[in-house]
This record gives sequence, C-alpha cells and structure tokens, in this order.
Amino acid sequence: MGGKVTCTLGEVKNRADFIIYWGGNPAECHPRHFTKYTIMQKGKFVPLGRKGRTMITIDIRETPSARAADIALIIKPGKDFELGTTLRALMKGQPVDEARVAEIGLSLDTIKDLVERMKRAKFGVIFFGMGLSMTRGKHMNSAGILNIAAEMNAFTKFVCMPMRGHGNVTGADVVLRWTTGYPFGVNLSRGYPRFNPGEFSTVDLLVRGDNDATLVLGADPGATMPQPAIDHLKKTPTIVLDPKVTHTSKLARVHFTTAVTGVSAGGTAYRMDEIPITLRPGLKSPYRTDEEIVNLIIAAVARKPAWRPAPIAQRA
Amino acid sequence: MVKITGGRVYDPANGVDGVVKDIYIGEDGRVTAEGNGSASRTIDANGMLVFPGGVDVHTHVAGGALNFARGLVPENQRVAQKFIHTPELRAGIGGLTPTTFATGYLYAGMGWTTVNEAAVPILSAKHTHEEMHDIPIVDKSTLLLMANNELMLDLLEAGEFERAKSLVGWMLWASKTFGIKAVNPGGVAAWKWGKNANQLHQPIEGYSKVTAAQIVMDLARICDELGLPHPMHLHQNNLGVPGNVGSTIETMNMLQGRRAHLAHLQFHAYGGHDWNTMRSGAKEVAEAFMSHKNLTCDVGAILFGDAVTITADGPWQHFLHELTGRKWGNLDVENETGCGIVPYVYNNHKLVNAIQWAVGLELLLLIDDPWRVYLTTDHPNGGGFWRYPEILRLLMDVEFRKAEVKKLPPEALNRISLPEIDREYSISEMVIVTSAGPARALGLKQKGHLGAGADGDVTIYSATPDADGVMFTHPRYVIKGGKVVVEEGQIRALAEGRVFLVHPEFDPAIEDFIRPTFQKLYTLSFENYPTEMTRLKHPETVGCVPQ
Repeated sequence: MGGKVTCTLGEVKNRADFIIYWGGNPAECHPRHFTKYTIMQKGKFVPLGRKGRTMITIDIRETPSARAADIALIIKPGKDFELGTTLRALMKGQPVDEARVAEIGLSLDTIKDLVERMKRAKFGVIFFGMGLSMTRGKHMNSAGILNIAAEMNAFTKFVCMPMRGHGNVTGADVVLRWTTGYPFGVNLSRGYPRFNPGEFSTVDLLVRGDNDATLVLGADPGATMPQPAIDHLKKTPTIVLDPKVTHTSKLARVHFTTAVTGVSAGGTAYRMDEIPITLRPGLKSPYRTDEEIVNLIIAAVARKPAWRPAPIAQRA
Repeated sequence: MVKITGGRVYDPANGVDGVVKDIYIGEDGRVTAEGNGSASRTIDANGMLVFPGGVDVHTHVAGGALNFARGLVPENQRVAQKFIHTPELRAGIGGLTPTTFATGYLYAGMGWTTVNEAAVPILSAKHTHEEMHDIPIVDKSTLLLMANNELMLDLLEAGEFERAKSLVGWMLWASKTFGIKAVNPGGVAAWKWGKNANQLHQPIEGYSKVTAAQIVMDLARICDELGLPHPMHLHQNNLGVPGNVGSTIETMNMLQGRRAHLAHLQFHAYGGHDWNTMRSGAKEVAEAFMSHKNLTCDVGAILFGDAVTITADGPWQHFLHELTGRKWGNLDVENETGCGIVPYVYNNHKLVNAIQWAVGLELLLLIDDPWRVYLTTDHPNGGGFWRYPEILRLLMDVEFRKAEVKKLPPEALNRISLPEIDREYSISEMVIVTSAGPARALGLKQKGHLGAGADGDVTIYSATPDADGVMFTHPRYVIKGGKVVVEEGQIRALAEGRVFLVHPEFDPAIEDFIRPTFQKLYTLSFENYPTEMTRLKHPETVGCVPQ
C-alpha cells in the first residue's frame, strides 16, 4: 500500500465535480484556492462552475471554509484516521461497528451518504491540510487519505493533494529529491545522502542538539518549533537569511537581510502541485538575493582548507 | 589534441570493422581525419576496443515523473549504490531512480555519452530542463508528450490539421524539446475519466470522431512535415497486454509511408488471450517489423530483479497497481498528459516475467537489421540502464544465453522461441545497436561514429572479459567532446553536456489562437507557459528538414 494519486490544479479546475477539504482552512490559509483552482472556476467539463460542483469540508470546528461548503462535517478531534478507515471499509462494502463509528462524531448514515456521493462523482478530489497531517496520527492520517483516493479509483476517478504552504516549500522538496533522492530529512554527514524522518528532520536534530550550526533560509523555526529546539538555535551559531525580522532572526548570531523573492528577486517557485513558475521581480532591492548570499558563503567556505582528514599515507 | 593509438576501431557507420588505426580529436572536441600538430594527450589503446560513445534512444532520467518516483521509493534509494562527494564530484545515489549527478556519472562510467529523455510534459518542461542542467557529462535530448494533448485533440476533432501542426511546432519550441513522443494515444486522455483506449479505431473517451489510429497517423505526418530530425516516437496502445501483437502489427501497417520509432517493443509483442495463455509474440512482431523499412524500434528489454515502472500510461499503471498491490503514484497533468509509477520486481520463477525476458532478447535476435533495433531497458521500467552490459553478454554469447534459458520455469519454454535461436552478435553489431543505430534514428549526425567532424565521444574497452566473464561494464577510458572523463574506473573530469532542441517552422499566428484557449483551460498565465532559453545549459538547435 501507499503511494500518491494526484494531479495538477488545472485538472481540478476543468474536471472536479466533487471536492473535499479535510483538516484545512483554505478560506484563510490559501485564499486564492477557491477562486483560482477549485470551486468558483468554470471548467472545461464543469461549465456551471460553483453550481456544477459539490464541496465538502471535514474539520473539528466550523471554519470560514466550512461556510462555503455544501456539506460541512464536524468530527471529534483526533478521529480523522477512524473516519478514513470507515470510509475505506464502507466503500468496499465491509461491515463496520456502529458504536465505534459513533465515536467519530458522525452518524453512520452521514458517512454512508458521503461514500455514495464520492462514488457518484465523475472526478473527485480530496485536499488535506495540517489539521490532519500535524495532529495525532500524523503521517498515518495522511497515508489513510492517500489510500482512500487510490482505492476510490476502482469506482470512479479520484485524486488527492496536500495543501502545502509556506512559500516555496514544494520547491525545496523537489530540488532535494533530484539532488539527493529524498524530499527532506536528508543527512550528508557520511558524504552521501541518507534519509530518516524522525532522526534527521530539522526539528529532531535541533531538539537533540546534534548540529553545531544552523543556516535558516526562508523559514522561521523560532516561531513554530518546540522550546528545546529554539534553545539550541540560541546556543549555537545560527545564520538567518530573511527579508524581514523574524523570531529566528532575533535569536540568530547573523541575520542577512535579503531581497524579497518574487517581488525584488527572481527565481522559480513550485506550486503545491509541483508545477514550476518563473518569478519576475517587479521592483529593485538594495539587498542581495538569497542565491547571491549563499554563493558568497559557499565561495568563502571553499577558500578555507578542506575539512577532510588527510589520507592515512600522508599523515605524519 | 587527443590521439588514441593502437586500438581496434569499430566504426560501423563508416564501414570500419575492427581495424587497428589511430583516432584524433582536435581542440574543438571533434574527430579530425589527420593528426596535425602535437597531441596534448596520447592514449595507448593497444589490445583495446575503440567505439563511438553509447547513445541511449529511450530512457527516463529527468523530469516531474522521475522525481515523483524518487520520492515514492526511499527504500530503493537506501540499498542503492552511493556516490560520496569529493572536491570535484557531487554526492548522490544510483539505483533505479538515480539522482541527477549520479545519472551522469553512471552513464559516462559505462561508456554512454548521449541520452534521450523520452517523456516531457510542456507544463513542467522547465522542471525537466532544471534537472538536465544537473546531469553532468552526457549530451541530452528530450521528447515532448503530445498524443493526449487536449488542445491538439480538439483541433483534430474539428478537422483542423494545419493548425494542429502549427500547435505542435509551437509547443516544441515553447518547451525547448527535441522531438515528439506519443504515449498510449488517446488512452491517457481517456484516463482523465478513468477509462482507456484499447481499440485503435473507436472514438476515444470524451470525443466523437478522433481515434487512437488517427492520432498516430496525424502525429507521424506532423513530425514528417515539420521535418523533425527524430520521427514520431511511439509508445503504442495496449502496452503490456497479452495478445497485443494484433494492435502492434496493425499500427505498423497503418504507418506505411511514414517514419516512426516504436518504443520498448518488447512490451508490445505478447501473444495469447490473458495472463494464463500469454506467450511470446516476438516472431510475428519481428517479421512484420522487418517488412516495414520506414520504422525503427528499441526493445525495452527486461532483466530479472527490481524495477520501477514509470510511464505516462496512467490507466496501465492503475491496472498494474491492482495486479501487484504495490504502491501507486499517479499524476495527471492538466490538458496534456498523465503519469503513473508502480515499483515492480521481475521474478525469474514467474511465467509472465520469464516470457517478457525472452521477448526482449528474441526481438534483438530475430530482427536481422541491427540498424533498426536498439538496446534499451526503457530505464527504469525493465531494469536500470547500468545493466546494459548484462544484455550484451546474453546477445554475444549463445552458450551463456542457453544456460540462462535453462533456469526459466519449464512451462515457459514452449511459449518462447529463444531456445531455438543460435545467433550471436558481432562486436560491430553491438556497436550498431548501442550507438551508431540510435544516433542515426535520433537524427544526430555528429553522434554514433568516428568519422571526421563527429563529436569526440569515444569509449575504449578492454578486449578481454573480466574475471566474471563480463565485458563492457567498465571502460578503460571514456572521452567526451575530446575530454578524458573516465580513466581507470574513475570519473576524472566533468565535461559539460549539451542539450539538443529543435525550432521547427510554424505559422506564428498560432500563438494568438492558443492564448485565449490557454487562459481558459490552464491555471497560469500564458507568458509563464514557455520554457526560457536561459534555463538550458549549452543548448544546441538541430535543423529541421520538412518532408
């Protein structure tokens, strides 16, 4: 099992007649998502636009996104995995225990209705957010959703997509994959890439205090990471590249103010569906770009003597 | 100037078959007829074999689909060959979905100097070119996925052939690609609705007139009329399906009078009706193929062991996922194409896999004109490209091959013709199927030979097998554009690979036609659609000769 069944956003625009947002609040976090890609657009095969699409939200509270939905399902916190599993069971006609299903916070009839609607869709899509991937169950919740989308293809066309954010995080993921073979949590200390999320992910390294120094690019771990990680950033040399003052830049040893990518610096950004977009800066900045500063750092490091121990034969 | 002296030179494109002669490569990185001036480097190739650098006509080494696969199979990367970084070389990982830098090192390390990436969607062509930028040493070309492009299908449905032709020309230039790839014509478009295109002459899902056959015929004609150096590169309908021999031969008949390259023919040469009755259809396919002189093909042979199947053929991949229960990646690209990824293991105890293994070799052995059949594994679909030497041994050593055939399940033996074939490849034939032939099919005149003016891409192998009886795994020297890049089994220098592209002539008014449709159907602005020339490292435009 596993994998990911997905598409680019234009497929959703042109074809999706059934859209689920699960554990996310695009109305506030991805404000252009509805209007540019999903429910509001008139698509090639959804000529009626909003009227031709059914939108469902699944969340633990009534978010502003839920108010845009045709059906807003409120479930109990931490029950995403259970709902996912129930959907998969019902989809395949397997029996479920009604009392256990009740713990999810939805009636069995409501979930059965959802499954029927999913099967009737011509093209269904599930967008899932951090309410699912960063709460109890974490990657197991994501895996559950990915499996629902994959298994629904036995009945109709179905895809899913994580609602990624934070600027060009998808771009970082993409570039790491082609250069190291892995998307994140890569350790190069043996001279070749190794991958082990939970051990080599940034937060784990910082909490354990494994690293001697930290270079922070376009992120603000000082605002989001647990206290031991922040303490380690304070204790050791931290270098921040950011156009603005952030929680991390305040505790850093060095803060380079940079030009703003997309506004005063060019480059490429990847959308959440991994489509690259060329950024054309409209303004000039007195500050250097991230790329220029990183290249200067690389050049300065290259001027230092190599860190490698000399081959044994050459040692004194 | 580099002088290679004393080696036995195999240059079949120029009729040189194992003659001891010197090869000179000038300062411009090209082969010169006579050595004038003193050589800055003389390589003593005494007792060695001198070949033009290998050319891979069909491989998947860069792009959104491959990068998706890298993320999907971390368990494969973990056990794959590691590349430790040095002051000169980048770190990386080999295996079935190698990192970009490792891809360059692996190809060059095997003696291959030109590769053709066979699947690029226009929408993510920028990304493909970014990856190609990071593949060192080898020269690269790319093929654009068109057979399921809905802008084109809509034009064909409306009977607007000329406009479709301009559209294809514009798309080639916009994506900075080299040729046209057709994958499961109409089938991927149908997959957007969860359907496939199994019948060549039925209208495809979502259309009332256009059929798979029409897409094939029109695209082949467009490639000819635009005068592309490489003809339409076709992954036919019904890949992998038992009994697909029928539609494969029918497609060949349809293409009468047109140029076309048939990709990974092994996957299209199965007889029988289902998995239980499946048998090799290589004899029928090879016979039909030989009578169509207008066609070339690569085999897409499979090797026992791990593979990762990556193809734009979305519906087939869904089927393979259901068949194997392995993980499944799917990525539909708006209005253009799709892609599916399923890890797979070819097992020599399984009847179906044994037949597939035999079919690849049978095609290579039964098609008697090596200039029209080329060695590929459809990397990484049939196995990693770095396993090509294993296939070469099977082709060149009949005793070894017969011993390997004996290891197959007994019930496979009456379903294949491999046990009766005694042909052995000569060294010259081996050079043709790995270099001279594919270079000619790609229309790269400076590749695949060692005549004056050819690129100084030379691979020098030892003339004797290693202790395991294997040849051609580790060249003694590899020279790329006159630079010695591999020596004593080490990457010694990084030549900067070029990227080949075409700029066919098309009616410029097509842009005004595409723009409004594009704005309606896509999710970015039209100005952001084309790939900028600045993204390409060392681009080289190859001329088109309309026919």
